[in-house]
Amino acid sequence: MALSEPAAAAATFERRVLRSAGEHHYLRVWLELPDGGARPSAAQFKQLVVSALRELHGEVGAALPVDVLTYEEKTLSAILRVVSSGLVKLWSALTLLGFYQNRRCAFRVLQVKPCGDWIGQQ
Amino acid sequence: MAGFADLNLPQGSDKKSLQALLETAAHLGYSAVALNHVIDFKEKKQEIVKPVSPSELFPSLPVVQGTSKRIKVLTRLTLVISDPSHCNLLRSTSPNIRLYDIIAVFPKTEKLFHIACTTLDVDLVCINVTEKLPFYFRRPPVNMAIDRGIYFELLYTPAIKDSTMRRYTISNAISLMQICKGKNIVISSAAERPLELRGPYDVANLGLLFGLSEGEAKAAVSTNCRATMLHGETRKSACGIVYTVKKPRKVEEEETLPACKKAKTQA
Repeated sequence: MALSEPAAAAATFERRVLRSAGEHHYLRVWLELPDGGARPSAAQFKQLVVSALRELHGEVGAALPVDVLTYEEKTLSAILRVVSSGLVKLWSALTLLGFYQNRRCAFRVLQVKPCGDWIGQQ
Repeated sequence: MAGFADLNLPQGSDKKSLQALLETAAHLGYSAVALNHVIDFKEKKQEIVKPVSPSELFPSLPVVQGTSKRIKVLTRLTLVISDPSHCNLLRSTSPNIRLYDIIAVFPKTEKLFHIACTTLDVDLVCINVTEKLPFYFRRPPVNMAIDRGIYFELLYTPAIKDSTMRRYTISNAISLMQICKGKNIVISSAAERPLELRGPYDVANLGLLFGLSEGEAKAAVSTNCRATMLHGETRKSACGIVYTVKKPRKVEEEETLPACKKAKTQA
């Protein structure tokens, strides 16, 4: 399944081959909130992700090792890291999250990669 | 590769919110959507109106992200049937029904599910995801539907709205998968607001949760939707649909060949 969409800015592509499957997957996400709502802080953002996991997958899901590597409160975009075996769980939990503080919201997953080489570029 | 499609955008909402939905769908990467008109026979006499022409409704359609094409808008009719007499409408050649691109039925009982899968001339059979299934799926009608090129539709918006419905969505989907083994599934949204729409890859990932394999999950938002659209198109022609596409500039021309015996809906 082609998971990652090519970055619009980078015109040149390079091919990377991993010798073994990476331990982690990285997701670049963007939280869409209606205008004028309260914006979550970094801690609240992490809590939102964990509560989404707990809601769909229970305590096992909430125990999944997920890290928020970067989070920008201004643009509500973040990079998440998750162990590869938990990618489907995390992704589906983000997809089915519909509310933040009783207001509608949506997680837009922009990119999913098995290696996090664009983290420093932003 | 077939583009992504969302075959269920409710049409009832006003024009402005529909435009917002279309823009979000195009932005998320859907190259085709279907505007859904639902007719529930339980409520008073409802007439089948002519489908609104999308080009009339929206003078300029949004461009699909990542391509230079504009989003394709189809019309779809969903009949909620709770009594065998409602099927007569589909059998009779009602002129207005034929104007819709896709026809779906929502059977309420096991008997009607059987009729919808085996005899009715429809493209989609909707699966109830908002309450516990009133019947068990049985293999013969489901296999028959797969042979006839009819697809089963699962909705994901109820799962976003409410945690109880989420449980029913997943359990009903899994019990369908046990019978159809991941074949002929279409996942669509029925989103009323832009924030309820999800991207095609997100939906494909959701398919993994329903018990589909990666390939089947991706087909559920792409090739299966295309097959449904083509199945709907065969109704308007004599026997089948053949598309010819010019290679260098990819201009689509439509041609129907009366010679072929069977509708080729496989992409």
